[in-house]
Order: sequence, then C-alpha cells, then structure tokens
Amino acid sequence: MFKQHVKSLLLLELLKGLRLTGRYLFAKKFTVQYPEEKTPMSPRFRGQHALRRYDNGEERCIACKLCEAVCPALAITIEAAERADGTRRTTRYDIDLYKCIFCGFCEEACPVDAIVETRHFEYHGEQAGDLLMTKEKLLALGDKLSDEISRDRASDAPYR
Amino acid sequence: MARIEIDGKTYEVEAGKTLIEITDAHGIEIPRFCYHKKLSVAASCRMCLVDVANAPKPLPACATPVWDGMKIQTRSPRAINAQKAVMEFLLINHPLDCPICDQGGECELQDVAVAYGKDRTRFIEEKRIVIDKNIGALISTAFTRCIHCTRCVRFGEEIAGVKELGATQRGDHMRIDTYMTDTVNSELSGNVIDLCPVGALTAKPSRFAARPWELHTAHGIAPHDAFGSHLEFHIRRNQVMRVVPRENVALNEVWLSDRDRFSYQGLYAQDRLTAPMIKKDGQWQTVDWESALLFAAEGLKKIPAKQLGGLASATATVEELYLLQKLLRGLGSNNIDHRLQQVDFSEKTTKAPFLNQRPADLAQADVVLLVCANLRKQQPLLNHRLRQAVLHNHAEVIRINVYDYPQNFPVSHNLTVAPHQLVATLAGIAKALDEAQPAFKNIEISEQQRAIAACLQKNNKKIKVLLGEAADNLPQLASIRTLTALIAKLTFATFSETGRYANSAGAILAGALPQQTLAGQAISGETGLNAQQMLSQSLQAYVLLGFEPELDSIMGATALQTLQNAPFVVAINGFCTEAMQGYANVLLPMALFAETSGTYVNNSGDWQRFTAAVAPVGSARPAWKILRVLANLLDVHDFAYTASDEILNEVKMLCETSAQTVEDSTWVLSAPQALCYLTEPAIYAGDALVRRATALQATADAQACHGAHVNQRTADKLRLSAGQQVKLSQNGGSAILPLVIDAALADDCVLVYTGLAESAGLAHDVGTIDLTAA
Amino acid sequence: MTHKTSSLISDESKADIDRWLQKYPADKKQSAVMAALRIVQDQNGGWLTPALIEAVAAYLDMEPIAVYEVASFYSMYEHKPVGKHHIKVCTNISCLLRGSDAVMAHLEKQLGIKKGQVTEDGLFSIKEVECLGACVNAPMMQIGRDYHEDLSPEKIDEILARLK
Repeated sequence: MFKQHVKSLLLLELLKGLRLTGRYLFAKKFTVQYPEEKTPMSPRFRGQHALRRYDNGEERCIACKLCEAVCPALAITIEAAERADGTRRTTRYDIDLYKCIFCGFCEEACPVDAIVETRHFEYHGEQAGDLLMTKEKLLALGDKLSDEISRDRASDAPYR
Repeated sequence: MARIEIDGKTYEVEAGKTLIEITDAHGIEIPRFCYHKKLSVAASCRMCLVDVANAPKPLPACATPVWDGMKIQTRSPRAINAQKAVMEFLLINHPLDCPICDQGGECELQDVAVAYGKDRTRFIEEKRIVIDKNIGALISTAFTRCIHCTRCVRFGEEIAGVKELGATQRGDHMRIDTYMTDTVNSELSGNVIDLCPVGALTAKPSRFAARPWELHTAHGIAPHDAFGSHLEFHIRRNQVMRVVPRENVALNEVWLSDRDRFSYQGLYAQDRLTAPMIKKDGQWQTVDWESALLFAAEGLKKIPAKQLGGLASATATVEELYLLQKLLRGLGSNNIDHRLQQVDFSEKTTKAPFLNQRPADLAQADVVLLVCANLRKQQPLLNHRLRQAVLHNHAEVIRINVYDYPQNFPVSHNLTVAPHQLVATLAGIAKALDEAQPAFKNIEISEQQRAIAACLQKNNKKIKVLLGEAADNLPQLASIRTLTALIAKLTFATFSETGRYANSAGAILAGALPQQTLAGQAISGETGLNAQQMLSQSLQAYVLLGFEPELDSIMGATALQTLQNAPFVVAINGFCTEAMQGYANVLLPMALFAETSGTYVNNSGDWQRFTAAVAPVGSARPAWKILRVLANLLDVHDFAYTASDEILNEVKMLCETSAQTVEDSTWVLSAPQALCYLTEPAIYAGDALVRRATALQATADAQACHGAHVNQRTADKLRLSAGQQVKLSQNGGSAILPLVIDAALADDCVLVYTGLAESAGLAHDVGTIDLTAA
Repeated sequence: MTHKTSSLISDESKADIDRWLQKYPADKKQSAVMAALRIVQDQNGGWLTPALIEAVAAYLDMEPIAVYEVASFYSMYEHKPVGKHHIKVCTNISCLLRGSDAVMAHLEKQLGIKKGQVTEDGLFSIKEVECLGACVNAPMMQIGRDYHEDLSPEKIDEILARLK
C-alpha cells in the first residue's frame, strides 16, 4: 500500500517508460528512408513476375501450363500453339496481378525456370488493365532484370 | 466354371478366360500397356505381371488363362518387384519431356509410373532417340516416346484392315514406322491416338492446344454418317478442343471414324456466320435478331403459299426438320424436301432407311450382298462390323456397284458395272432365284449372276442384303431398290438400307418430304414439289436450312442459278459464303452440331437425343428456335415450344402410333448411255461442317476425290490422258478438271465428286455429259 | 492389298518360292516370307532393295510393311549392297574373349575398309554380327555359307588369298 503511494507520487513508472523512450531517442536509428534507402532483400523475394529467356534469346516457356494448373488464385491464363519451327509455345501468357497472391507456386511448378518472381516490387497501375501482365510485359521485365534473376537463382541453387 | 482366388478373395469365374479379363470385370487393378480389350494379346510389355501360386515366375495376366484353384496375388512382394522392374525398364528409353508432351496429364505411362514405379532412376547411360516421321495431317508423332506396345500396329491389322504401321528393326533399334507409303491413310486412323498409351501418337489438329486437366467433357452424337457413333466433346472455355469416341457396345464400341473425330474443326471456320444479316437495297447489313426475323417474316408473307419452297440438309435434327415442314405446311405449301443428292423421284412413298437389324447382327452374317455401298469410306464402323463377319464368321460377301471401292476384306463375287447395266444385273440375279416370274421374261442370266444367286440360296444361313447410300445418286434408284428388296425377299434375307447422312432416317420420319408428312403419312391434297423440281423451276421464295446449293445439291450449278433467280430467300445456316450472299435476302445464323440440342435417328433405328455441349458461336441460335419464332411471326398455329424435348415428344408420339403404308414400286430396264455421269459426295466434303475441317482435307482420301475419274479404256476411247485438263459440259453446267485414271470404274463412266468447289459448276443432268480436252 | 505380281522376281526364284509355299497351307502364304526374302536376296547379289521387298509382299499377298518388318528384324537380310564375299565377323562374348577384336582389326587392315563397307573392287564386305553358334571354336567368321573357325591373322590371310 505504502509502496504504491511512493511509486505514484514519484512518477516512477512514468520515468521508467521515459527511460526506454530516451534510450531509443539517442540510439542508432533503424528507420529506412524509403525510397532513398532500402532494406536488404532475400534472393528468394517474391515480387513481380517475369518470363525468362535462355542465353541465346530463346524464351524458356514451353507452354506446359503447370503454373496455370497450380495457381491457387487462378491468376494465370495461357494459350498454347505450335510455333512455325514445330516447338510448343504460348500464344498468350497473362498474369492478373489483381488476383495474384504472390505465393510463388508458379515458380515452383515451372520445369524450365521460365516464370519467376523477381525482386521487383515497385510498380503500380494507373488504369484498369495496367496490372494485367501480358506475355510481352513479362518477357520485357525478364529481359530487363535478367542478370539479377540469374544471380538470385544461382545463389539459391545450393539449397534446392 | 473355375474357382480362383485373387488377393485372398474367392471368385467363381468362367474357365478359359484370361486373368486380366476377370480382374477388369471385378474392378481389380492390374497395370498394362500392350493389352487392349478389342485387340489381340501381345503380352509384350510385361507390365501386367502377377504372382501366381506354384508358378516359377510371375505371369502376365493378359496372356494367362484361369484354371480352377488358381491363386493370384497382384500386390505380393514378388508381383510388386516385377512391376517395378518392368516399369524401370520401360522408362529407360522414355524421354522426360512430359511438360511438352500432349499426353501429359492423361498418360498411361505417367499414371502407372506414379502408382507402380520407383521414384529414382539408376539409368545414367544415353537414351535412344528416334527421328520423327510425318505420317499425315491427322496424327502427330514423337517416336522417341514409344514404348513398343504395338497397339497401333495391331489396330492396323485387326481393326482398320490395312497394315500401315509396323514395328521394324529389333532390340534397341526397334521402331514404329511406315513403309513405302509415308502416310497413314486409313479412314479409322485417328483411333491409334486413343490407343497409344504414351505421347508417341497424338492428334495433330489439336496439337499443343490444351491440357487434359483444363478440359471438361460433354456427350454427343456423330453428325456425319448414318451409323450414329457416340462421341465425347472435350471442351475448354466454351470451345470444342477435340472429339473422342464414347464407348457404346451396340454401335461404335470404342472406335470413331476420322470424319467424326476431326470434323469439329469446321465449327471454328473462318466463314462462320455469327450475326443475322439482311440485304437491303442490295447492301448486306448486320442487324439484331428481331429485325432480321421481322424482315424474313415480312418477305415470306407477301409470297403465295404455292410459290414457297423449303429445302433442308439431312444433317439437320429431327426437331428442326419437323418444324420446317410444319412451318411450310402451316403456310399452305407442301414444297419441302431434304433429298438433295437424289435424282430419281419416281417412288410414290419414301421409307426411312433402316438396317432392320443391329450392327452386331451384321457381324454374325454368313452371306452378305452389298449393292451400291461404299461402306468402308462412308460408314467406316458399319464396315468394321461387316469385316468382323468376314474374318471371324467366314462370311461370303458379294459386291455389286458402279465403282469398285477398295475393300479391306476379301470379297467372293465382285461386280462393277455401269449404272444402266445395274438394273439388268440385279434382275438377272432375281430371275435366277425365281425363273417363274413373268416380269423377268426378257431377262438373260449370266453365269456370274447364276453363281451369285446360288451363293445367296443357302439354307440355315444368315443372309443379309444391304442397299448402300451410293444408290441415291443414281437415276435408277427406284428400280435398284425394288429389285434389291425382291432379291432379299426371295432369299429370305434381312433387307437393310444404310442411308447416307446422320439423319437420313430422321428426316423422312419427321416428314420433310413433299408427298408425305410425319411418320410417312400421306398428305391430304396436292403433292408438293420435290428437291429436283424446286431447284430447277424458280419459285418466288425459299427457306433453306443448313443447305449450300452449289455443294450440297447434286444439281450444283442449276440449283445455284435457280436460287439466284428467286426473289426472296431466307437462309438459315451456320456459315456465310459469297454464293449465299448472292442469292439470299436474309441470313440467320444457326447453331451447329455440339452447339444445339436435338435428335438424330440412325440406321439402326435408335432415336439418339443430344444436348448442346457449348454455347453457339457469336449470336447464332438453335435452328428450332429460329423456326419457332419465324412461325410465330407468320401466325402459324401450334408453335408454342419452349424446349426441344417438347418437339421431339410430339414427333415421337405420332411416329409410334402410326404405321406407314408403302406402295409397291416397279422396276424398268434403263437405256444405255454413251458416257455415264456418276457423282458421289467426296468423303470429307459431304456436308457443310466436314467440308471446313482443314486437317481432313489434307488426307490422302480427300486428295483422291479431286478431278474427273475415268478408267484407262474410256480415256483411250476419248483420246485423253492422265493429268490432262478436261472439260466436262452438260445441259446447265460445266467444269474444267484434271483427268484421273481410275481402274475402279466401269467402262464409259466418268465420276466426279460433289461437295468440292472445283465441281460446283456442274449440274446433274442425267441425259448427257461431254468430256473433251480443255 | 496389292495383287500385282512383280517382274522383279525371276522365274527361277518364283519356282523356288513356290516350292516353299507348298509346305504351308494355301491361306498362310506369309509363312514363306523368310525363305522368299532369302531367295530374292540371293538373286539380287546378296542384298534387298525396297522394290524387291514390295515384290515379295505382292507375291505373298502381304502388306509391304509386314515384309519389311521381317527383313529389318533379321540380320541376315542386307539392305545395302554387299561384296561378292560378305564376311560376317562374330563379336559376341565367346569370340570377344578369344580375340575377335584382333580379327576385325586385321580384316579391316588387310582389306582397307571399315566394317559395314565394301571394297572398291566389290569383292569383299565386312559386317559385325552376333553369335553364330560356333563358340566352341571361337573366334570365327562366316563368309557366304561357310564358317571359318579358330581364326588367327595367318589363317585370315590364307582365306582371303584363296578368295581373291
């Protein structure tokens, strides 16, 4: 009872709290000044999707449709046909980013490492349809980030 | 009977059956690749090895007959070990290309590997590679995937009747191959796609298009021949991706003809009509349904009933044909017909063509007389039944035809005669059977005719007389039918007619005829005009149902000319061609096969109802709905149908309660002609849908239908040579075609296939045809 | 089915084939296919052409592919021209253990050709074959219809000299 009165009279608990506040006030800050600063990122980060190519420029995707089958959000739509050279290729490869839940199953299912989720996460859409990724957009992103994607796959390879 | 024990359970089974037949019947799973219930046993894949007590080694279930007291273990350590070993062996040379293989997801090898295989490979050596071969437009090959089950080889020998694929070389070099001919040309070739347990043989038209897990299935009835095979549509996103057979023991068993399998391509042809169109002031404009139907009704209202004609293709459903005739008769016109390939309309009554037996009964025949039948190409699965009779029942087949079609079984008497000799030949046989008949007084009997008659007169034998579809195109149809039926009567044989189209029988039962209405009932009042009359003398208005005159009608050019002269034509069609835009005033898009519900009556007499599997393309509508609304707008009574079943019930009720009276017909000998003109719908151009199936057009069978065919003697007589461009000219039409020498024709005959653009300029004029160098 | 009888088969060969046909039931003509292929192969200087295979098929009422299956299965049917003396060297296990490699190497050296080739004068050709059932006297080779066993380089030279 007495202790209680002393505690409240001397504002001990308040000071205790302020001490914590004070410590952080002068401690080294870990707030990241995004977008000037960025947090470190895992090579397994699951951001926006991209379609990859082989070194000779040939698209990897063979239209097996396993990603479409595995996608839990039904975000992927593929149409396939025989290309003039007789190979199996997609004529349409759409990912609806509004539906996508970034689970990464498509990447897991892909037998040729064609569809990947990149570290790229800074994107937006201004019009309806901007976030509907078509085959062209996906390939373009894959081309743009190809070095980074290859590096990431290589660094993750020992654990797979 | 034998008592056997499988996995600890006892079964009473028929002795002598193979083990796999028994396990299949009891739902006990045994993996297999080479075994197929409709093919002979090869026992080459060894996948069905089971553990049999007291046997020194595991035995193949497909080749082991059961015996009393047999004890079988399907999952004992010894059986599992054997299955795993075989699976590993089969996978040694099988590529790991499942992601690009069309069989992926429905592959027997995949399934069995998951269920019975090991999950690790020990094979680190190089896999073998087999260079692919292009074997035609229908089947795509990847022989590296082949596991040498030889189902496709056995299918060729045992079912298709032509061995086109073989297993050449041996051991590691063994491969499935063709020889001499590069392509597989059988009319049943598509079935090897279903038979192949792996992705070595897949369908070329649907190559890479869809995955099995994306597809859902719907049932359907084959729309081309009168056999009425059961089929299954595989559909993705409201589009038919492929067609496969649906097992039906009574009809098609597990097979399907190439025509029924690949014709779905026509559904997505470039020239599909997707919206109603009307011609106003010479200009075509796309309009909504209401305006189009009102325009059609307005136009038809102005025409006196007698000047109104209705023509329908026999690929239309019973419901559609019934409503069309009901509409026209409601308006007061009996001018309705569906017999677009016929030239002889002398018979007073028309009977629906029925086999009057089940297809399985034909397979039990002892003697078969085939008259004017090209069963192999036109009704491949009925031909298959007949072939079974020859192979397994040693049936004697007698063939009389105007064209010596290549056959895939031996024929004991084969007669190829010109059409005008056909009647005399049949009369000769009939006279040999019954010399006393006064009608045959002036007929002479040849030795061969006597031999044929003797062949047909056998006691205690199952004798079948079958009149084929090719008779329809001959000007002697009535006489041929009368005499063939007479021969059947004199030999106590089953008389069968095959019909040509999917609904040849249904069209007659539905009453789409000028002289008789539903169920063959004679009409009261004046007989209407038949197809030939309607297409040669211009009426003021026509309603056309799924009919392309220049291709579907035997009168080609004349028909087109007549329609062009008609002031008002309503065309209800699934397609829109330039010709159609030339003669029609209203184009109403109709739903085609797979998009509409309806009924076909096949030649076994089955009323086969089907429902729509996919929604129609564009704003096309089922034709029965179009006809119903048109009738409502024209104030015709009793047209308040809300579903196609209501129409069917009405038709069926009347068909079941009334019997058709058939008038006796007569026969006359026909006069010889200098040059006989023969026509037949080309195998893959017989109706609007199959004509637009592009893959089928690239087959050898389709290619063989081009040109004007004569035999060498006729060509020599006319001083023409093979490959030369020749001009065929006749009253009302002409065409320039390359000359094809065809040994299968009788002398002084020229055969041109209809349904092709190249022959659309000809008009069937039975009188004369001239053949000269162009 | 093709029914044209081919003029490619000589009358002598036809008579020979007919002799074989008599051994089988009339509706089982295909039973004579192996004999028929051997006869036309001998007639054609030791090898079969596609036309000859087709001729045999027509003569025996068989599909060409069925005849080709047989002709490609057995190693005694040749599909490429062979030398007058067709040397078949066994390299199966018994012969291999007894030095068939050396036999093959010696033959190749002496004749200046590789296995599967024909000498320029058309006299010799070499083929590698599986066991011919003469393991007891391995290594061995077959030339024409004759077996030559217990081979050594000297013996081979002697045989070749005799045939030249």
